[in-house]
Amino acid sequence: MTDAALASSPAGSSAGARLPLRLRLAGAAPWLYLAPTLAGLGLFVYWPLIHTAILSLSEWNLNPDQPARFVGLENYGRVAASTLFEHAWVNSLIYVGASIPLKVLAPIPLAVFVWSMGSRGHAYRAILFLPTLISFVAVAIAFLWILNPIFGYAKAWLAVVGVRLPALLTDADTAIWTIIAISGWKVIGFNMLLYLAGLASINRDLIEAMRIDGATDGTILRRLILPLLTPTIFFVLVSTVIFTIQQVFTPIDILTEGGPQNSTTNLFHMVYQYTFVTFDVGAGAAGTVMLFALLMAVTAAQILALDKRVEYGS
Amino acid sequence: MELSRSWRVVGHLALLICCLAVAAPVAVVLATALKSPAEVFQPSLWPSAPTFDNFATLFGKARFADYLWNSAGTTVLRVGGQLVIALLAAWAFARFAFRGRDTVFALVLGAMMIPHLLTMIPVYILMARLGWFDTWAALIVPNLAMPFAVFLLRQHMRAFPRDLLDAAEMDGAGPWRALWKVVVPNLAPALAALTIILFVECWNEYFWPLLVTESEASRTLQMGLREFLESDGYSDFGAMMAGVTLASIPAVALFLILQRRVMDTFVASGLKG
Repeated sequence: MTDAALASSPAGSSAGARLPLRLRLAGAAPWLYLAPTLAGLGLFVYWPLIHTAILSLSEWNLNPDQPARFVGLENYGRVAASTLFEHAWVNSLIYVGASIPLKVLAPIPLAVFVWSMGSRGHAYRAILFLPTLISFVAVAIAFLWILNPIFGYAKAWLAVVGVRLPALLTDADTAIWTIIAISGWKVIGFNMLLYLAGLASINRDLIEAMRIDGATDGTILRRLILPLLTPTIFFVLVSTVIFTIQQVFTPIDILTEGGPQNSTTNLFHMVYQYTFVTFDVGAGAAGTVMLFALLMAVTAAQILALDKRVEYGS
Repeated sequence: MELSRSWRVVGHLALLICCLAVAAPVAVVLATALKSPAEVFQPSLWPSAPTFDNFATLFGKARFADYLWNSAGTTVLRVGGQLVIALLAAWAFARFAFRGRDTVFALVLGAMMIPHLLTMIPVYILMARLGWFDTWAALIVPNLAMPFAVFLLRQHMRAFPRDLLDAAEMDGAGPWRALWKVVVPNLAPALAALTIILFVECWNEYFWPLLVTESEASRTLQMGLREFLESDGYSDFGAMMAGVTLASIPAVALFLILQRRVMDTFVASGLKG
């Protein structure tokens, strides 16, 4: 950051004199190109992480006229002891846990099927990618209508086969699974595309060679394709774990607002409620720090697990 | 790779079921949007007399023209800014060797893995101090630096033929001119793919506008949709589905225009490196 700041001072004068100045600036040039990105990331990503940690140690209600008061770790204790946190914490684990089979594993066979079809699979690819383009607000509102317990299409269609549609979103037992299913609907196509990107880098000659040696589809899949796809699977796994809690915020906010009886809230929605509904900034920041720690721990565990696998493989 | 016959059948079946699961809700939304109020509550998939009345309701009863303008304006400015800033940073990483490059690159990649939810409170406070609530600046500026875009463009620049760059620099073009006159024109497929990704992300954004837009006139389309849902008391589903359709059309249309190119670039650029 400081380098970029220093380098930006001669920037204004470089426009006038051309060659000699350019030579003198050679060392600063890359920093000038980087300056906007580094300023943006510093101001809106890295500094806020630190600022959040500071806020988590204070009591403040977002009112600029009222100074923040240092309270130490009090916020953490208060948040951890609340029933909202208990629900949010357990639900976050459910959201993340359910996402792994649904969003990380299920798209793998789909991607392999599409990939094996060559250009004939393009139509499938395009249709399955469609939900990626539609906003989560639109998706949530659409499902609110489809699942409407009185007039919804799902009810009418299920009635044809003699099934009565329960009120999925107002029942504490089913609401969270409904939101998970909707978020799966939205994300599977995108993750499938990530796997297709991974599959595209596999050398098809290797497959032919194995085929000539008499290998079956199953052997090729287990011995060649899955090992070569491991980095992509890992990438999808890490990003799914990190972003799921953020991603389901929109359907939670629109469909259930965390209810019924906190059955669909998660740590992100909890932070939102603390900070922007009750203006308890300290508690919101403390929740954010805990969420950060959770995400880092899970990601680190995944990296360690992958390192083991790589060593085992080589 | 050709799968055996039985696996091919399984594959087509699985994909067909998934495609149906994607298509059915889309069909329901479109059908409902085109129905007359009298017909909305009948679960037929085809409106007997298709009408655009529901779309008219959006512009009559709510301020969807304002919402559209805010969404379009902020998206164009933000995506344009993101592309320029990311091109500059990617060029620094791809073209120059300098001390600390790997560390800085790791910091940029690290930022890619930090979701907004971890940084929102301080950024919100900063917006309040700057008095930026209800302005386009609040929607645009905090999101201008885009690590993923830097990463993707750097990958493509590194794959750029060295000879072309050398030839350009031999002709007296410095790194600045080489970037804009030689590299950028040849990055068109990657830039198209990236534009779609950034456009969709910005156009569909929910959480950040929820925090920084309060007045009716400053809302984006997604916020307007949410607002309409609540102010309407969850009753006029015809107009709501029209709103859902309207909010989805731009991203879907842009994608359809650039579909093949985007898909192929995205798949080919891969996640290597």
